[in-house]
Amino acid sequence: MKRQRILALMKIQYKSLIGVPTTLFIMLLLPIALTIIFGLAFGSVIMEDTGQSVFEFLVPGLFALSGLFMIIPVASSFSEDREKGLLKRINTTPTTAGEFMGSHLLSNMSMAILQVAIIGILVFIMGYRSEGAIAGIFLAFVFMVIYSLSSIGLGLITATIAKNAKAAAGIAWIFILPQQMLASGLYPLPDSTRAISMFMPLHYASDALTLLFDGIALSDFRIWVDLIVLIFFSLVIVSAGILLFKKYGKV
Amino acid sequence: MSKSENIDNTSNELIFGSANPNAIEVKDLRKTYTGKKIIKEVKAVDGISFSINKGEIFGLLGPNGAGKTTIINILCGLINQTEGDAFVGGYDVKKDLSKIKELIGVCPQQAAIYQYLNAKENIELFGNLYLVKKEEINKRMKGFLDLLGLSEASNRKAKKYSGGMLRQLNLIIALISDPPILFLDEPTVGMDPRVRRTTWKFINSLKETNKTIVLTTHYIEEAEALCDRVAIIDYGKLVAIGPPKELIEKHDCKNLEEVFLKITGRRILEGI
Ligand SMILES: Nc1ncnc2c1ncn2[C@@H]1O[C@H](COP(=O)(O)OP(=O)(O)O)[C@@H](O)[C@H]1O
Ligand SMILES: [Mg+2]
Repeated sequence: MKRQRILALMKIQYKSLIGVPTTLFIMLLLPIALTIIFGLAFGSVIMEDTGQSVFEFLVPGLFALSGLFMIIPVASSFSEDREKGLLKRINTTPTTAGEFMGSHLLSNMSMAILQVAIIGILVFIMGYRSEGAIAGIFLAFVFMVIYSLSSIGLGLITATIAKNAKAAAGIAWIFILPQQMLASGLYPLPDSTRAISMFMPLHYASDALTLLFDGIALSDFRIWVDLIVLIFFSLVIVSAGILLFKKYGKV
Repeated sequence: MSKSENIDNTSNELIFGSANPNAIEVKDLRKTYTGKKIIKEVKAVDGISFSINKGEIFGLLGPNGAGKTTIINILCGLINQTEGDAFVGGYDVKKDLSKIKELIGVCPQQAAIYQYLNAKENIELFGNLYLVKKEEINKRMKGFLDLLGLSEASNRKAKKYSGGMLRQLNLIIALISDPPILFLDEPTVGMDPRVRRTTWKFINSLKETNKTIVLTTHYIEEAEALCDRVAIIDYGKLVAIGPPKELIEKHDCKNLEEVFLKITGRRILEGI
């Protein structure tokens, strides 16, 4: 593992954040726009049963959603680089697969941190106050960074299936929609339907975020169960993504 | 002005893999494509042998589909051969690919460039991937950009470049590590005649740096202008090999196009 290589690769991935419209839109503009729209639309709509505003109910889901949408830029950037012959070109340099994948994991995980920070600041400005302590907020970052691994994995699987970047952006919805509908915590669902989401990594991230923002004690075992299951899901999915892409996706 | 001023002469200091005096050696190389989607198997490379001396510019000349890119791809480790042996810098492509990657620079047939980066950022990235020092990257980059007349455009995003400029940038990236062995796959395809001539001059100037260059082309003129020796390839087979002048004299022809016509009964640019 050479730092010079990893840093150089990460640098161009950061530049794609500004240079590639899809990446800029999905990674940054969409989460910002959703937060502002939800805040303005639902900030003063109070739910009868809890006395919360609808916006407050939606906040954990906003974080979850932006992590989920990361599948699209990941999938389209791998597809695009493959189409342009860049993956092959990098493959003719002494760069190892570990350095290459490592740089992508690091840059996307750090973008997840950036997303959480931006949305966090925005919801704060819009009047949202988490009941959670600082440690809880810090844990929210940890959850979203780990969750981003599963999105990177699903992005890689999408890029493996897709023939080109345009197709990738479409195919990504196969993985996005079910998680968004069932596991984002955005929609109040009957328990039976919600049970399906037990098989989706997003369930554990949004569940934990809801608990943390509600100010649950960190000693509560539910947080740690969420964390362990999320780590498990994310590692399995990202490993599968890397292996599938390496084996079938590089052509 | 000496063209080599900006190019370091470190190439011959690098230690090759064995006492093998040849920079590249290929023995009875074969690549056959089979698969569900392919109805008939394709013998892209069909039993080719040749060796390339250190410091030589060696051309693989042949029509589209002859198997040139396939040979290059095997030599730089992008695909595995079906049969036969290939050595680069004395190393076996099957066993010591990581050592080979330290020795080679590759200019792919498709210009592989990050469109959202400018020329400098593209070059820097690859310099870093080869672990070239920052000052050295900047020095070499400036030299190459000047020689090819790309300096002015080098801060503009690559997506704004013309086809010819992209091809030139593609070539510079292949050189940034100052590799002793260079693979140039159709380096001037899509360039207009003026840019092509500048690029030929540039490639010729690399000779002074003692690099071994493998160049594929389907342009007769390019092979004649640049190559010390050419291998004429047709349907995956080697049909003639030697210095362009010798081949032309031996077959009593005016140019390599006629040589190709005489041997295969077809013209290079027509044949597919
Ligand atoms: N991945 C592949 N699958 C099947 N056939 C291929 C593949 N790549 C190349 N070929 C075939 O192999 C032959 C040689 O191709 P190539 O090496 O690209 O030729 P050249 O570079 O001389 O134009 C062609 O007939 C081409 O269609
Ligand atoms: Mg070719």
